[in-house]
Amino acid sequence: MRMGALAICERDVRKFIKQPAVMLASIIGPLLTLILLGSAYGGAITHAPVAVVRESYGPFSSKFIDILRNEQSCAYGGINCQNSFQLHDVAVIDRAQDMLREGLVKGIIHIPLGFDRSLGDKLNVIVTVSLDNTDPLSAASIGSEVVQAAQQLSSQIQISTANGSIITADLEDYYRNVLYNEFMAPGTFVQSIMFVSIIAGGVQIVVDKERGIIEGYLVTPLKKYEIIIGVLLSGVIKALFTSIATFVLAIIIVGIRPSVDILGITLTMFTLFLTSLGLIAMMTAYAVRTTSADVYRVSSFPINLTLYYTSGAVYPLEGFPTWMKDIAIVNPETYSVDALRLLMYKGAGFQAVTGDFAFLAGFTVLMVGLATFAFRRSL
Amino acid sequence: MDLAVQTFGITKTFDDFTAVDHLDLEISHEVFGLLGPNGAGKTTLQRMLVTVLTPTEGTATVAGADILREANKVRERIGVVTQASTLDLELTALENMNLYGKYYGVPRKKRQEKIRELLEVVGLADRAKIPVAGYSGGMKRRLEIIRALVHEPEVLFLDEPTTGLDPQARAAVLDYVKKIHEEHGITLVITTHYLDEAENLCDRLAIIDRGKIVALGSPTELKRKVSGGDIVEADFLTLPDDAWKALERTDFVLEIKKRDGGLTIVVKNGAEAVPKIVELVDSKGGKLRTITLRELTLDDVFFTFTGRSLRE
Repeated sequence: MRMGALAICERDVRKFIKQPAVMLASIIGPLLTLILLGSAYGGAITHAPVAVVRESYGPFSSKFIDILRNEQSCAYGGINCQNSFQLHDVAVIDRAQDMLREGLVKGIIHIPLGFDRSLGDKLNVIVTVSLDNTDPLSAASIGSEVVQAAQQLSSQIQISTANGSIITADLEDYYRNVLYNEFMAPGTFVQSIMFVSIIAGGVQIVVDKERGIIEGYLVTPLKKYEIIIGVLLSGVIKALFTSIATFVLAIIIVGIRPSVDILGITLTMFTLFLTSLGLIAMMTAYAVRTTSADVYRVSSFPINLTLYYTSGAVYPLEGFPTWMKDIAIVNPETYSVDALRLLMYKGAGFQAVTGDFAFLAGFTVLMVGLATFAFRRSL
Repeated sequence: MDLAVQTFGITKTFDDFTAVDHLDLEISHEVFGLLGPNGAGKTTLQRMLVTVLTPTEGTATVAGADILREANKVRERIGVVTQASTLDLELTALENMNLYGKYYGVPRKKRQEKIRELLEVVGLADRAKIPVAGYSGGMKRRLEIIRALVHEPEVLFLDEPTTGLDPQARAAVLDYVKKIHEEHGITLVITTHYLDEAENLCDRLAIIDRGKIVALGSPTELKRKVSGGDIVEADFLTLPDDAWKALERTDFVLEIKKRDGGLTIVVKNGAEAVPKIVELVDSKGGKLRTITLRELTLDDVFFTFTGRSLRE
């Protein structure tokens, strides 16, 4: 009797449509994370104050400082290519070190006595760069730029002195410049699915149980599998609808640019579908045995956080400590995020995402089984 | 004649608490009431009969099917109105009913006809398309009752159908319930702790206390089982011990029960007994606050069989 399963699904979907707040919360929450976190983390470091202690005066040191002033920082995004630091001349090294300790500057570039003379004599020189690495992101950004400036100067010196062949390195990005918020976006869509799974999926079930709606189902001839199918089906419809809405809004508001081809879009949608089914089934399995809506709400919060941050949604997995990598391996969201990133930005085909799909499918089967097993046909 | 419900030593225990205790009951095609105070086991009994709770011991047949072996047949043949409202408030009356019809697999055309008919019966036809959230308490209850009838069940179980309603709404709901029984010939099994409801609506009643049937019969029969005539309720400002002992010894008092602040006295003839009681109490130095004469109610029946009041 399929009519029963469809009727349960119809009820949930009708309720969902008439409660726009649930849907909006599941869209706005993740989207806001994308906008705020994406903007906060994704921006290149600019105008960090850096002290220059110049003890040598001559053409080379002047050239070096010029290069430093013009160094462009486009480390993360292509939009604001600006100096990541601003130079402040400081007379003596002791004063500069005090400034570093007091947090007035983020680094010190020390051009030592004899810099120009040594370079004139074609000797190696060392420029000491002291960095405030309590702020690792700024330190990395400043450090790499000073190194680049030094390389640029030495190559110029080589060219002018050797009077020979010109070496130019032509760097090319394999993919178009992907901004940090684009990197984050796949996790955002997965999170909107998770939100729906928690709010419209699990909470609905626990509340229905508290209100006696489930008891109302149990007195009808609906079979156990019909109830489960109905609940999962409505959950998938709700989650898919919400995540696609988030997707579209991310394109419009945040300006993410996924690659547009029929296969890619189809596979992206399929990834969202598989993720929805898996996460809905997971939260359903949890919810059917939870008796208190409060306990469910409070406990679903850390579940969501853990899955989101260990999925590689906001930072590459390669940067995780071992214990977090272990969680990532069993976390379904990891595979969703991976598949979405491959499909959205690299234009990868089916071949590339089969592994992700296999894991997600296996996870989904397991969770649907668990939900069916956990659901009891009597009170 | 086949029975609508028959239980065979049905029992339900929760941990070490026995909610329903080896209960045997036969209900024919009638309006049957399960009367008892909160916690008596009425709802547990009903939940077993409607197949959502499994008995610890014993079984029952409902509408000709066994609740354990043929649970799905039972479910197809019964309608259930639970104590707590399970309407979807965001949805309209039509949507609520339509969904239930689908749960029971009622075909579209038949479903639509039946829904229209039932909405007419309880006077909700003109408000069928507004969300249920805008309904009054009585309207919601009426809707829940007819929602349980879309699939034309043989037996309708109603758990405390008028709890939480104001007197006017209660009366309306009870009228409709009566009408449904009369027009559709459906067996009704109603749990209630309202005496008037049991008395006015039910053909037969089982008084249930601590998981057992303590009395069974029509409201009139049950009242006849209690020794005799009228009831005098007397409240006292002061009541010396020998005053009520003296009352006990008189020949016009059949039975006497102490309760908070006064006595409930069963007498042969109320009109004659009241002045005598007043006189006797006065002579023993007692002070009456009020004294009233009333007819026997089911509460007195309950009191007689259990030693407790339903209102407690």
